[in-house]
Amino acid sequence: MFSGWNWVAHGLYLLLNICSLEVSGGLVQSCGHIIPESPVLALGSNFTALCILNESCLDFGNIYANQIIWKIKNRVVPREQYREINRTVSSVTFNDTSSLGTPLTCNILADGQIEQNIYGITVTVGLPPEKPKNLSCIVHQVSKLSYPMTCTWNPGRHTFLDTHFRLKYRWPQENFPDCIPKDVNNSCKITDVQFFVNLEVWVEAANALGKAESDPLVLDPIEIVKPLSPHNLSVNSGILPTVLKLSWENRISAAVMKLKFNIRYRIVGDTNWMQVPPEDTASPRTSFSVQGLRPYTEYVFSIRCMKEDGVGYWSDWSEEKTGVTTEDKPSKGPAIWRIIDASHSPASWTVRLMWKALEPFEANGVVLQYEVTVRAKSSLSSPPQKYNVNTTNLTLKLPNGTYEVTVIAHNRVGASPPSVLLIPASNSKAPVKNVRTLPKDGKLWIGWTAPNSYVLKYVIEWCLVSSSSDCIIEWQNEPGNVQGTYLKGDIKPFKCYLITVYPLYADGQGSGQSVKAYLQQDRPSKGPTVQTKKVGKAEAVLTWNHLTVDEQNGFIRSYTIFYKTIDGNETAVTVDPSKTEYTLSSLTSDTLYTVRMMAYTDEGGRSGPDFTFTTQKFGKGEIEAIVVPVCLAFLLIVLLGVLFCFNKRDLIKKHIWPIVPDPSKSNIAQWSPQVPAKHNFSSKDQMYPEGSFTDVSVVEIEADDKKSFSEQDLKPFDLLKKEKSTSEGHSSGIGGSSCMSSPRQSVSDSDEGETTQNTSSTVQYSTVVLNGYRDQTPVQVFSRSESTQPLLDSEERSEDHAGGGDSTTQGQQYFKQNGGQDETNTDRPCFERTKQITPANKGDLVGFVQLQISGQSSQPLGLGLEKNTQEAALSHVLQTSTEGQTVRPETVEGNPLSVDEMPKSYLPQTVRQGGYMPQ
Amino acid sequence: MAAADSPSATLQRRDLCSRGIRLAGKMRSDVIDLLDTYVERQGLDASASVAAVEGVPVAAAERWDEQTGTQRLLENLAAYRAFRALLAQMLEEQREQLGEADAVLGQALAAVLLQVSAFAYHLEELLRLESRGTPSEEGAGPPPPPHLGLFERKLRGLGVLRELAQWAVRSARDLRQLAKPSPASSLAPSPAESP
Repeated sequence: MFSGWNWVAHGLYLLLNICSLEVSGGLVQSCGHIIPESPVLALGSNFTALCILNESCLDFGNIYANQIIWKIKNRVVPREQYREINRTVSSVTFNDTSSLGTPLTCNILADGQIEQNIYGITVTVGLPPEKPKNLSCIVHQVSKLSYPMTCTWNPGRHTFLDTHFRLKYRWPQENFPDCIPKDVNNSCKITDVQFFVNLEVWVEAANALGKAESDPLVLDPIEIVKPLSPHNLSVNSGILPTVLKLSWENRISAAVMKLKFNIRYRIVGDTNWMQVPPEDTASPRTSFSVQGLRPYTEYVFSIRCMKEDGVGYWSDWSEEKTGVTTEDKPSKGPAIWRIIDASHSPASWTVRLMWKALEPFEANGVVLQYEVTVRAKSSLSSPPQKYNVNTTNLTLKLPNGTYEVTVIAHNRVGASPPSVLLIPASNSKAPVKNVRTLPKDGKLWIGWTAPNSYVLKYVIEWCLVSSSSDCIIEWQNEPGNVQGTYLKGDIKPFKCYLITVYPLYADGQGSGQSVKAYLQQDRPSKGPTVQTKKVGKAEAVLTWNHLTVDEQNGFIRSYTIFYKTIDGNETAVTVDPSKTEYTLSSLTSDTLYTVRMMAYTDEGGRSGPDFTFTTQKFGKGEIEAIVVPVCLAFLLIVLLGVLFCFNKRDLIKKHIWPIVPDPSKSNIAQWSPQVPAKHNFSSKDQMYPEGSFTDVSVVEIEADDKKSFSEQDLKPFDLLKKEKSTSEGHSSGIGGSSCMSSPRQSVSDSDEGETTQNTSSTVQYSTVVLNGYRDQTPVQVFSRSESTQPLLDSEERSEDHAGGGDSTTQGQQYFKQNGGQDETNTDRPCFERTKQITPANKGDLVGFVQLQISGQSSQPLGLGLEKNTQEAALSHVLQTSTEGQTVRPETVEGNPLSVDEMPKSYLPQTVRQGGYMPQ
Repeated sequence: MAAADSPSATLQRRDLCSRGIRLAGKMRSDVIDLLDTYVERQGLDASASVAAVEGVPVAAAERWDEQTGTQRLLENLAAYRAFRALLAQMLEEQREQLGEADAVLGQALAAVLLQVSAFAYHLEELLRLESRGTPSEEGAGPPPPPHLGLFERKLRGLGVLRELAQWAVRSARDLRQLAKPSPASSLAPSPAESP
C-alpha cells in the first residue's frame, strides 16, 4: 500500500519539480521549497517540516510566511500545528507520523483568497527492520559430494518499506559472500559448506530506517546434516527360517560422518511397522541380519541413517524391499471339531470331522496334508485308523461309542504337534449357563457362565439361519479360561445366527447351549400378508403366516393390525408375535374394511399389503331364523292344500280330472258278439261298418254356424297347431290321463284359451262316460261330453299330414281315441295316438264329432293309419296288457242311466266295465 | 602452557584435534576424488610420475616420531599455507584455461581449497592454545610461480594434489598424536608412533 502511495507521491513530486524548473527557467518563478525533501519517517515518530519562501516572492507578491497553509493531500493541516519562524519560514509539526499522508504541500493565499501551491514533498512512513529471530540451518545431502545448507529465520514484523535480508556466514579467519534470498525474506540456501570448521551464521535485515542483525549461529555444518538414506537395499533369506539378511549402500562417505541406522520391517499386508532395536544398529555398517522373524513369511524392510553420535537429522526412510523367510514345521496342530449325525441309525454315527486350516504364522509353510487318527476308546484292542487327507474335513461312519481323534498337519519341513479331540458317547457333562450375545464394535460377542468343573476349552458353533439355505456350521475354539469371545467369521448384519457353546472336558463334553442373535437388526423387509379366515357380521378372523427368517431382519417383537373402514379412522391392535390368528370384533355389519399388518423388530416395523373384506349383513343364525319358519309355513300350507284336495278329491276329479274310461278295458265282445274280436280292418267298410255305429253322438251343426265353426273353431286349432309345432307334447288330447292334464287345461295353457272356450261353447260334444273302468263301479252314464278334444285331434292330424291341414280342418270331424293307460308311451306325445280320419271317410263321417271305439277294435284303426310297422308291436302290447287285466264282463243292465241324465243327443248304449261300447 | 592446562582449553584442543582429524580425513577423501577428476580433465595419465615440485611441501619427515607437538603444528601450518596458495593458483589457472566451462573441477578445487584453509585455521587455533604465536604468512608462502608451460603446470598441479593427499594422512596422525591425553605428548613424542 505504501509502495503505491510512494509512486503517487513521487509522480506529484516530479510534477512540482517540473513546475519549479519551469519557474526557475523563467516561465514561473519558484516561491519556496520544503525541508526535508521527501523524508522516510518512522511510524509513530514526530516530524517537522519547514516551508521556506524565496525573498523574491516577498517583494513581488507580498507573500509572507504567515500566509502559508499546509495541506496533506487536499486536507488542510490545522493551524495549531503551524509555526511562523520568521516572515519567510513556516514550520508544521506532526506528533505522530501515522497521521501523515503524502504529498505534504506548502500553499499560500495569494491576493487574499486565491490559494496557490508553493511546494510539495513525498513522505514515506514505515518501520525499521526487526532483529531476525529463530535462525536455524540444516544441511541436506543431495549427492555424495554436495551438501547445501539452508537457513531459515523469522523476519519479524512488516516494515512497510523495502527491506533487504542477507544471510551472512564466515569462518573466523575467512569471510564468505552473503547469501541473498530469492523471492522470500525468511530463508536462504548456501550451495556448499565445509565440515569440521565452525561456521558463524547470522542474518542482516536493512531498510531506509535502519539495519538489524540476528544473533549469530555458530555451528559445524557436519552437525546439522540430513544425509541421504541408504540405497540399493537387498533382502536375502538366511539359513534359519527366522532370519533375513539386509544389505545396503551408504551414500555419505565415512570420512564425512559415521552413521547409525534404524531398520524397520513389517509383514506384507500388515500396516504396523516393527523396528530392530536401535542399539543393534548404532554403528556404521552396510548389512544387518534381522532375527526373530516368522517362518515362511514375507516381510517388508526399510532403513534410514544419521550421524553416529545422534547429532543432526535422520535421513528419510529408504525404499522398501521385501523378503521371505524359509519354511519351518507347523508350530501347532489344527483346531478340530466334529458334527455327529445319529439320525440314520441309533447304533452308528456319521461323524464329520472338521479342522481349521492353520494360520500362516502357525503353518510355517505350505501344509501338504493332514494325518487323521481315530482311536476307539472303548475297544483298546482295535488298532487306530489313520487317514491322510488334503482337505480340512473327513466324514466317517462309526459305531456309537467314545473315540479319540488326532489330527497332525504336515508341511515340507515336518509335522505339527497333534491336536486331540475326544468324542464321547454322550454329552453328559455340565453345560455352560447363561449364554448371551452382544454386538460390539461391529462384531458379535458371545458370553457364557462357565460350569463349575474345569473346562479344557470351549467350542462355539454358529450358523446363519435362513429359510433359503441350510445351516452351514462354523465354529471356533476358545481356551477354557475365558467366558466370552468374539465370533471370528464373516458375521453379516440383519442375519439371524444360531450360536451354540460346548464345554470340552478332559474326559467328556457338555451339551451345547444355544442362543439366537443378530449382529445388527433392521426393520423387516416386508410385512405379514393378512387375510380373513372367517368373516361375520361384527367380527372377522384374520390369519397370517409368520415372516420367514430371511424377511425378519431381526427379532419380531410384535405385530400390529391396522384396520379401518373407507371413511373411518384407523384402529391399531397389537398382537403377540407368536400368534398367527386374531379376531377383530365390534365391527360394523355389511361394511368394507381395509386391514393391514405390521411386524416390528427393535429397529422398527414394516407393513404388509392391504387386505379388504366386507362384514356380513346378517349374523350367524339370522338367515336360518327367517328361512326356517318361512319354509315351515310353506310346507304347512302345502300340506293343508293337499289335505284339502284329498278331501275334495272327488269334486276336483270331477272338475279337473274327469275319469276317462280306459278303452282297453272295455269288452265289446260281450256287448256285441257279432263284431269280430279280431281287429282286422282291411277296408273302410270294415273299419266302420254301419251296423257298428249303434251309439253315436251327433253334433248338429247348423248351416248358420258354419261360418263361426270354420272361423272360430279353427282359430284355436291353428294356434294349437302352431304351439305344437314349437312345443310338441305340451298339448293334451282326450287321453289326458296319460298326459297328466285335462284337455281344458291344455288348451287354456295356450295363448288362445279364450278362443278355445268359445269353441267348446259352440260345439257340442257327446261324451260317453263309462263307469266300468277298472275298479270303478260300472255305471252306464250318458252325458254330454265337455271335451274340446276334437280340436286337438285336428291339430294332430294337421301335423301328421303336413300340407293337408286345410282340407282336414274343413272336415270338422274327428275321432277321438283314448289309448289307455297301458298304451301310454312317455316317449311319444299323446297326440300320436289320436288318429285322423282319412279323407275318404270324411263324407261318411260328416256329422260325427267324435267316435269312441271301445276296446281293442280301435287300436288297429289308429295305428294302422299311422304306421304299419308299429301295428303288430302295439297290438301285441295291447293284447298283453289286456291279458294282464282281470276282465270281468258285466252288462250294463244293472246300471241304466236315468232319462234325466241322458243327454239329448246321445243314444242309449250299453257300456261294460273297462271299456267303451261302440256307439 | 597455562592456557593449555585449563580444562576448557583441553577440551577445546581435543575438539579441535578431533575435528581436524576428521577434516583431514575428508580432505584426503576429497583430494583423492579430485585427483581422478583432475587427471581426467587435464588429460593426464594417472600413473604419471611427478618429480618434486618446487615450493610444494613434502609430507615425508625424518624422525617424525621425535617431533614435538608444536613442531608438528608448525610444519603442518606451513605446509597448508603453501597448499592454500598453490591451490588458489591452480584454481586461477584452471579458470584461465577452461573458463567456467569445467565447473566440476573448479568447484572441487574450490572445495579442497576451503578445506585446506579450514585446516590451516585449525592449526592456528591449536597453536594459539599452545600459547604459541601464529607465524606470519609473509615469507611462509610459496615462491612466486615460475614461468611454466601448460603441461608443466598440469603436472605441477598433479604433484600438488598428490602431496596434499599425503599431507592429509600425515596431518591426521599428527593431530591424533596431539589429541592424546598426556600433556607431555606435545613435548615428548611416543617412540612407537611413526608417520
